[in-house]
Amino acid sequence: MSKIQEALTELRRAPGVKGGALVTADGLMVAQSLDPRFHDEAVAGLTSFLLSTTCKSLADGGMGTCERFVLHATHGRAVFAAVEESFLVVLLDQFADFDGCKAEIDVAVQQLRRSSRLQ
Amino acid sequence: MHLIQRMKIWKELKRLERRAQQEPSPSTFVDLGQVYINLDDAAKAMRVAQDGLALFPDSVELLKLRDFANRSKLKTDVADLAAKLQKTPSAKGYRELAGLQLDLGDAAAAHATCDAWSVRFPGDAGPWLVLAQSRLSNFYRDLSAREGEEAVRCLQRVLSVDAANARGHRLFGELAYRIGAIEAARKHLQAIPVDPAEPEVQAMLRQLSVVQELGDDITALLREAEEHGALPNAPAIPRGGQGREEGMGRIRDALAHIAELAGVRKATYIKGSRALVKGAIRDGKDSFLRVVRVVAKAAHRFARRIDIGNFNKGVIDGPFGHICICSYGEVVAAVQCDQGAATTEILAELQELVAGSLYMAGVES
Repeated sequence: MSKIQEALTELRRAPGVKGGALVTADGLMVAQSLDPRFHDEAVAGLTSFLLSTTCKSLADGGMGTCERFVLHATHGRAVFAAVEESFLVVLLDQFADFDGCKAEIDVAVQQLRRSSRLQ
Repeated sequence: MHLIQRMKIWKELKRLERRAQQEPSPSTFVDLGQVYINLDDAAKAMRVAQDGLALFPDSVELLKLRDFANRSKLKTDVADLAAKLQKTPSAKGYRELAGLQLDLGDAAAAHATCDAWSVRFPGDAGPWLVLAQSRLSNFYRDLSAREGEEAVRCLQRVLSVDAANARGHRLFGELAYRIGAIEAARKHLQAIPVDPAEPEVQAMLRQLSVVQELGDDITALLREAEEHGALPNAPAIPRGGQGREEGMGRIRDALAHIAELAGVRKATYIKGSRALVKGAIRDGKDSFLRVVRVVAKAAHRFARRIDIGNFNKGVIDGPFGHICICSYGEVVAAVQCDQGAATTEILAELQELVAGSLYMAGVES
């Protein structure tokens, strides 16, 4: 198993985490460990849409780029963190202890950054 | 309770009552109210909170005391009424109990009460009407198709039990009108006897000839409303005049308060194409406003497509600091703040602002 996959599998074990994936900015799935209810292609495509839209609007306004985006919805949450040229996507249920998961997400981001640089 | 203990509490109460009269301040009223709450006397705690608020209307502690006392009183009333219904069930009692539970925000308990009510009184349309109203408020708040479909199912039950139920036809007609099912809306609104006290029904009937028919598949129209995050037709009677001005004034005040929080640079409240702004925003072309609109729309689409419900809050981090966004339906409130600002508190304030503005809109309608 690659280091990237290992990091995602480890992250998935955190309470409330329903899946993790590493997606490139143009919507390609690098690796994933997602709950079967989420389709990996949909996650990759929608993540690319959301983050490219967000980053473009920020860049157009001269505000820089998006490093992290935490999205809360009625039945779940999603966290997106920039990892080099890609994004880590973490899907959580609405009852997840977000503060508890934060540390695990940060660890995964660090591991993914290291692995991305090595590849 | 032991007699000596009672005497001690009584003495303490007398002392606090005297203090509240001689040296009135929010804290003396709160201390007195707290003792009544500890004694499970919510009615007296409420009286103390109201007396205090008459003197200190802006006191946050007293407002909290009043809310707490009100909730305690409601909880006591719910327990009393539930016990009474166990012995002597009545449709009126069930209606009252479900209403109190909804006031307390306990939708699950209200639904259970309605279930018991419908089993005991199968010929009564009341439980289905209460359920429909509860589902409809959720639908209008979140634009969740699931809630809308449940509301329709409950309204159909109301009309199957009592085909002439004016309230059922009114709610069904209004829902159909708002989502664009014009023929269905006409059918239900025309079934209501003309009542001069309900000018909105007549206004809706007039509007039906102007607005566009979007189809007769209610389920599809509800899903479309969820997809677009907005209802195609606005309420028939526009919310205007003094009430609207007052409402905008409150929103402006709340936004000014948010803009003054530590670390906040820009704040906005957006409804449709209009935006109220506070802080370092020069004009409507500010890039922050564009980012907020674009991101809120994209986040709505992401959340719905990935099936995690409706987007309601978000925080974007970057070299610009944080952008916090709170969104319900067509209303979006957002701030741009410095690195290290308390985003959780800011989000809570934004949520309060949006919920308050939606509540005001509901009251006006």
